[in-house]
Amino acid sequence: MANIKLDIFRFDEATDTIPHRDVVEVDIPETITVLDALEHAKAEVDGSISFRRSCRSAICGSCSMNINGVTSLACKTNCKDVMDEDGSIQVDPMPNFQPMKDLVVHMDPFWDKYARLKPYLQPKDKDSDHERERRVSPDDMKKLVDVANCIMCATCYALCPVVSVDPAFAGPAAIAYAYRFIEDVRDSKRDERIAQISEDYLWLCAHCYACSYCPKHVDPNWRIVDVKRAAIKDRVLMNERGPRHALVVAKTIKQTGMLAETEVIQGTIGRFNIKGLVKITFLGAALGMRMALKGKMPPPFIKPIPKVDEVRTIFESLEVPVS
Amino acid sequence: MSTTLLPEDRAFDSHKSTRSREMKRYGFFPGCVAKESCKELFNSTMLLADKLGIELIELTAASCCGASVVNDVNRDVARVLNARTYAQAEALGLDDVITICSTCTGHMRAANKELLESEERMNQANSILGKFGAKYNGGVMVRHLLWLLIDDIGLDNLRSMVVRPLNGLKVAPFYGCHIIRPENVNGWESARNPHSLEDVIEALGGEAVDYAGKTRCCGFHIQLEKDNVAANMVGQNMRMAKDHGAEAVITPCPLCHLALDGYQQDSASRWGRTDLPTFHLPQLVAFALGVAPEKLGLNKHLIDPRTVMVQRDLIS
Repeated sequence: MANIKLDIFRFDEATDTIPHRDVVEVDIPETITVLDALEHAKAEVDGSISFRRSCRSAICGSCSMNINGVTSLACKTNCKDVMDEDGSIQVDPMPNFQPMKDLVVHMDPFWDKYARLKPYLQPKDKDSDHERERRVSPDDMKKLVDVANCIMCATCYALCPVVSVDPAFAGPAAIAYAYRFIEDVRDSKRDERIAQISEDYLWLCAHCYACSYCPKHVDPNWRIVDVKRAAIKDRVLMNERGPRHALVVAKTIKQTGMLAETEVIQGTIGRFNIKGLVKITFLGAALGMRMALKGKMPPPFIKPIPKVDEVRTIFESLEVPVS
Repeated sequence: MSTTLLPEDRAFDSHKSTRSREMKRYGFFPGCVAKESCKELFNSTMLLADKLGIELIELTAASCCGASVVNDVNRDVARVLNARTYAQAEALGLDDVITICSTCTGHMRAANKELLESEERMNQANSILGKFGAKYNGGVMVRHLLWLLIDDIGLDNLRSMVVRPLNGLKVAPFYGCHIIRPENVNGWESARNPHSLEDVIEALGGEAVDYAGKTRCCGFHIQLEKDNVAANMVGQNMRMAKDHGAEAVITPCPLCHLALDGYQQDSASRWGRTDLPTFHLPQLVAFALGVAPEKLGLNKHLIDPRTVMVQRDLIS
């Protein structure tokens, strides 16, 4: 048995203006989960402690919260792995969400982003046209299995630094779920779906891999890359900055072997988009000017690396699109 | 299904675990930004190598690592480009490739892991390299200079080489995503609670500032995608650092450097003024080891680090 001190974020949006913290001590085996410890605290000490839970076995996705500052499923986290020497464990609501009561948050923005995906199969014909179920080959199904494990716990959404500053970003889970339908051979709305998720800022993913901490190993970080590749393959909304950026980076590497910074900026914003270029190059209080004054501008032209033909051979062998 | 490797479990590096600590010659992959807008990083690294008594042999015909962006275009090209770089290192008899950029580190290691763990991918890469007579035999390990400092030089040794201690300068570490995540690619230290930069800061006589932003994203890769998002990410992180008492920031990544150094002025309207100067890792180490400050390109930074260095009696 161990004396576990749960240091709990307490807040009730109906009555409180600022949150406070309560430390609740429970005597329980340290091998149990943080969720069990919370259940115990609620049952034995303070019935008003609020948190979401249902399955207690990492299937329902309800109990994601911050445990010692790390967003995790409480039912999948053992107390002994996270408690301090004195047995304390800090529990807080997930970040990137508005707290409702204690560890319960308003999930609406997260669900809204799912709803925008139309997260159901849209085949081109009716079920009644088929004598039996639509069949999918094992290879086609394999692509969808991992992402179908998503339990919508929103851990990735809470961890996403882009969501934290720009709530318009769809977030990792929604993009991964878009992939689930985009790559489903039974679906008929592939390009509409790619366009929709592009408009919800698919390309605003910052490549930070914070969402690689998915408790179900969906790895939304790689699915986001898959959706971007699908967009480029199908040439959906190719004139937006995101795909232009990816393609101009590839182009400059093919031409010079290097990522040519100046050309990448011009190619992403649009060489003839003078207004856009001025805005980016002289962003805010003239970042470009400030850099130029310090002699910190990238060179306008890049000399190709030695044996750049080899790089071009690689691009051509793999048929890499560069425009 | 992916698995998270513990820091000591570096499966795809394990064939290297018996390497000799006496080896002083390293393949050096500076990366594009150190050759373009952050030349001061390249220069400081070479000056630091001199002080450390190691030889960095630049792989001058190496290409860009793919910078995470070419993955968006093609799933194979970054891996094969990096295989070409490793083949060049092997041809020079070098089995270590040292990077000075978090993004290069992460993506070169990811490529190497894929090559070493899949015969099919290694064969694919070599069938393309074969068209110009190159071959990668799988004998290269990619490491960041930060890890070299700790593994090969050693913190005690580094501490003993310091001639200009940082006088307790409060330095906030900023890791840069790709040197720590995904953990099963990097795995050199815990991605959630890394402390290599802190250890180096303290070895140099500085005080490491602990704050939640140290493992977060600088927003560099989306600076051109939508206005102000990267600036806000910078502001958010620098606000945390400042509120925890930081006087300066250190980063092993020139992309983070460009974002942190460049956008703090633009993020001030939402996050308040932070004005934290951002050192490249080799700059601050080289300074403490006695390299003349005027050689480190400190004047190239938008937020001039010399102000705080004067305040702390580090320079006059």
